[in-house]
Amino acid sequence: MKQVLHNISLYLSFLKISLKEILIYRVDCIVGIFSELVVEGVSLIFIFIVFRNTDNLAGWNFQQILLLYGVTRISLGIVGYCFDGLYDIGPKYMRNGDFDKILLRPVHPLVSIIGASKEFVALTDFFIGIGITIYMLIQLAIPITFLLIFKIVFFSIVGALIIGAINTIFSISSFWTYRSNEVIWSFYRIYTFAQYPIDIYNAFIKIIITVILPFAFVAYYPTMEYLGFNKYMIYLSPVVAIVLWIIAIKLWNLALNKYRSTGT
Amino acid sequence: MIRTMLALGKLQLQRYNIYKMNFYLFTLNRIIEILVYIFVWQAIYYQTGDAGGFTIQEMTTYYILVITISSFALWGVNEDMAHSIRNGQINRELLNPISYFKYYFGIYLGELAFAIIIGGATFIICSFLFEIVLPQNLINVLLSMFIIILGVPITFFFQMIVGIAGFYTDSIWGMQILRKAIIQIFSGIIAPITLFPMWFQELSKWLPFKELIYTPVSIWLGDISMNDIVFIILKQAIWGIILYFIAKKFFNHAIKNITINGG
Repeated sequence: MKQVLHNISLYLSFLKISLKEILIYRVDCIVGIFSELVVEGVSLIFIFIVFRNTDNLAGWNFQQILLLYGVTRISLGIVGYCFDGLYDIGPKYMRNGDFDKILLRPVHPLVSIIGASKEFVALTDFFIGIGITIYMLIQLAIPITFLLIFKIVFFSIVGALIIGAINTIFSISSFWTYRSNEVIWSFYRIYTFAQYPIDIYNAFIKIIITVILPFAFVAYYPTMEYLGFNKYMIYLSPVVAIVLWIIAIKLWNLALNKYRSTGT
Repeated sequence: MIRTMLALGKLQLQRYNIYKMNFYLFTLNRIIEILVYIFVWQAIYYQTGDAGGFTIQEMTTYYILVITISSFALWGVNEDMAHSIRNGQINRELLNPISYFKYYFGIYLGELAFAIIIGGATFIICSFLFEIVLPQNLINVLLSMFIIILGVPITFFFQMIVGIAGFYTDSIWGMQILRKAIIQIFSGIIAPITLFPMWFQELSKWLPFKELIYTPVSIWLGDISMNDIVFIILKQAIWGIILYFIAKKFFNHAIKNITINGG
């Protein structure tokens, strides 16, 4: 336990350093933010079009769907910012042998990899998420109490941890392929399903996003709680996050033991 | 000249072959993308009995065809162009005995070949999962293909314009995303154009992007009359020529101002 806390505090100090990097890459940052906005725009257009044709989707109205969208974005923003390093394992560390250097450090390699790089652009997602969430809470006349704010903050972080764990599990593929990004990205994209009420899907997809890759616990169940649809599922989210992280770290360590350097 | 371009295309295609895994992942990703859309429309259809004026089979077919052909409109040579500008390889590309445009058109042919493979695979997998509405006659299929081919110069020259902007800015990452977003919004990838507001439909009628995806799919579904098709073909031909001239002029101007990074 002590070691876990030590690793977490190390990670936080990595985070502080990387925040300062924003100032170095100003242009890239602006372009990135702009492109992120464009991408957001495209997904929002679909929601607008859908609600030109119906007034509810599986019982959720326009504002409620947008709230779910906003809450999802908050978690995605945190994941994009904090766990971007996972995408580098294959191309940046494995292929050219830099991974060996990291193994020599007295820190768990996962911590130094995740801590080493940050995607500032993902913070756009984060702030858009907060904006939409607050706006929709007002529109839906949900009282913004201190408790609600606390819940949103807490469960957004838990949601980010769930996605982070899933990404970590799939990053293991880079031990063999040296190209982790596509694999992680492909499975990460499954979160799109959880951006809509899961009642619209068939049993197969429901099982995938609640049990196999539990993206539904990221934002869907928490949002249901904020809306008063379902009071209890939300409390499973932290459990899911912890279980997933235990699996992720166990599997990662297992893969680490099998690791062979590329020798370059 | 054409043989050189085909050889370049083949090379590009082989580059994709190295990473077979990508092929499966690309296909998987694209299917996920449309599954969400299809399920949302299904939910609406079962609630209201109407999916934006389509039957649910038509709507499903719409998205499956969209994803089958969308790579023709979205993929391209921009990443390669940006890459060679950044590491100075552009020097060699400009001195090639084959012109810059033809060189990249050759590479683009390789991209298209890969797009056909991925598109075909996606279509076949989806046809097992869903019921696909078949066109009423063969002419519709041929016409769709013809309109898709008419779009090739348009997507290509549009990409060249974005890529050449990189001569000035060094980084076209943002413009590249903007290009894809413009195509996604105006071509009907998100939803059939008829579901958009009136002003948007009027605008997209004059832009060339609708014809890259929405029109071929609608012809397949039999929603476009023969009179419109004449207008569409004319419009695409004119846009192709306009974009060609813009790209050429832009290139001629850019080439005088380029600074090449030592590679």
